[in-house]
Amino acid sequence: MATKTVFAPLPDDPRYMDMAYDIQGAESEEQRNFLSNLKPEEREVAVKFWKAVKEDHRFNDYLRGCLNCGVCTSSCPAAKFYDFGPREMIQYMMRDAVDKIWEFTNKKVWACVQCFTCSMRCPFNNEIAGLIMVLREYSVRFALPSAKEILAPYRRILLTVITTGNQVTPDMIQPDTFPDWGPQAVEESKNMTVYRQAVPVDLLQRTDVGWHASLQTAVEMMTIFVESGVIEYLKGVDKDLYDMIMDIYEERKQTLEDLKEKWEKGELNEDELPDSWLDM
Amino acid sequence: MVNGEKLAQENVEKKMNEEIKDAFPMSDGLTWDDIYQRVIYRYGSPHNLAHIKEELYKLEDKGEIIVHHIKPYNNPMEFQSLNGLTKKIPTTKLWQHKSCGQCGHIPGYPTSVFWIMNKLEVDYLDEPHQTSCTGWNYHASGASNPVALAGVYVRNMWRAYETDYFPLIHCGTSFGHYKEVRNSIILEKEIRDKLRPIMRKMDMDIVVPEEVVHYSEWMYAMSKKAAAQKKYDVSNMKAAVHTPCHIYKLVPEDTIYDGEVWQGRRPAAPSGTVQNFGAKLVDYSTWWDCCGFGFRHILTEREFTRSFALFKKVMPAVNEGHADIFVTSDTGCVTTLDKSQWAGKAHGFDYNLPVLADAQFGAILMGADPYTVGQIHWHATDVEGFMRKIGVPVDDYKEKFIQYLQDLREGKAEPQYLYPKHRKIDFYLTLPERVSWYKKQGGQANK
Repeated sequence: MATKTVFAPLPDDPRYMDMAYDIQGAESEEQRNFLSNLKPEEREVAVKFWKAVKEDHRFNDYLRGCLNCGVCTSSCPAAKFYDFGPREMIQYMMRDAVDKIWEFTNKKVWACVQCFTCSMRCPFNNEIAGLIMVLREYSVRFALPSAKEILAPYRRILLTVITTGNQVTPDMIQPDTFPDWGPQAVEESKNMTVYRQAVPVDLLQRTDVGWHASLQTAVEMMTIFVESGVIEYLKGVDKDLYDMIMDIYEERKQTLEDLKEKWEKGELNEDELPDSWLDM
Repeated sequence: MVNGEKLAQENVEKKMNEEIKDAFPMSDGLTWDDIYQRVIYRYGSPHNLAHIKEELYKLEDKGEIIVHHIKPYNNPMEFQSLNGLTKKIPTTKLWQHKSCGQCGHIPGYPTSVFWIMNKLEVDYLDEPHQTSCTGWNYHASGASNPVALAGVYVRNMWRAYETDYFPLIHCGTSFGHYKEVRNSIILEKEIRDKLRPIMRKMDMDIVVPEEVVHYSEWMYAMSKKAAAQKKYDVSNMKAAVHTPCHIYKLVPEDTIYDGEVWQGRRPAAPSGTVQNFGAKLVDYSTWWDCCGFGFRHILTEREFTRSFALFKKVMPAVNEGHADIFVTSDTGCVTTLDKSQWAGKAHGFDYNLPVLADAQFGAILMGADPYTVGQIHWHATDVEGFMRKIGVPVDDYKEKFIQYLQDLREGKAEPQYLYPKHRKIDFYLTLPERVSWYKKQGGQANK
């Protein structure tokens, strides 16, 4: 007579097999101490960070529920290449798992390509890519190590967009930085001046800006970044960049005020100005 | 069925049709399935477009914001958005909101838009008083906040408002991002309260245009008129289209659809433009997928971008759709799809599928010089090969262009312009009389 197989009973609580945690056990989420998974020196900032994210007006607007259906991750371009998935982020948010949110923000959040496919397809109408942006934004505000690491190779772009009003410049395409763009890019970079001259719009003829914004426009852009507090966040992430932008801002603001004053008094001699304020 | 019941049934159907017509004014030509999809979008999203518009006009009535309306002299055309609401597309008197990446790395993109506008005698204004929307920076780095994003949007919109030209957004990210920012300004009092003092510092107030309009929507609206001027036949050409994510996935309900294009199940632009110019639209399984741009990835993590663009977009377009050309309608997508193919050669993936923006595609077909206007020499893929297939005298154009470059270098030629050059002072100050000065110069139209 065959021996009857006896299976050990499984607990009723489905959270028993919560694969998000290294140690599996019957402990329910209510009992689980999320803080115990954080390094002691990180606990305070992790809690503050998560509290700030939850208090942002967008958080409740963007997070509406989760079926755990995985439609988001199944269509996610970044999930095909990285250890990243929007579903896991939504699940951590739903559970209020400060430890996992902390880990996700420091390791994975920058993998997202912001295509918004997940947001469009989510049956719960979660604005998933928007939630990722909230995490990224607060990681810059809190000057988290991942933000510093990510922004280090990006600082020239930040300087350009804030001080000139343009995100990219034609002359950033250099053979040593964009070799994968092929021989065409090398040819362009060698003869950039004449190629730009052959673009039939005067605003597009410089090599150091995408289009030529006016001095007043550039100063207004910096004013918005200063007054809205964005520049203050940069102080924590990249102090040198912050100092550089503030110096440029003060100088250009003064130049603009002087020019405006002269213009209003009818004392501005246009011929004495260089063709571009970028050459001043 | 007795007569009474039949009559009651007919009344129900009549009433239902009236209600549908009322709820979806542009429902003619749509099937029940299409209407069902739109019902889901209209009522599925908590901040649907109808609600946003309603709140916008309430704020205008209260005097909290200024609305930049589309006027009859903007010659608007009406289309339907994803949820079946009417979206107005102004077709003339347009303020050009340029794109960083287009102007920086694909200059033939904006110049093709301007050239087509000249050909169609569209009134437009392109000024040095515009900044980036900063959306690329935001999505890449997170180094911004909702008030700064709103400030950048409103400052640009103010500059358009004071000229009375309606803003036309060139970049797909700017378009999607501005739709999102517009919604946040309308729905969040806190943002308006923080924004107003910042705008006051610049002698501005909060302006929100009635519609956020992408140039590809304008291009689609004008495509039949533009195609009437085409010089080359593309009926034997197979065109794969990539619809940019930020056009239709970011605030999805505010993008135009048309029953004539993919049965109204995919955005009208740029597929409809390609179709109206006579090319054969081909399908491929990853039509809905991202191009791989990634915002941060294209700049600092391009191994992802290259692989994604090649394996998930270019290869399916060629292997499944047998495409001769890839047409798209956004900065990042043109850059990514075009620049990511060359590196693939090192691994034996030599596809070299030419990539063009819908505006460049249209301008070239309408007879624009592919070098001085289309600026196709900035592209890495074989655009010349595509032009040879459709009969463009590429070699003649190229020879002339090389001579032009030589003359520019030696100072023997003056640069050519699509519209009159700005004054020196316009590069410094934003003067109120700038529009009247510009008009005295004869405006745009190739003068």
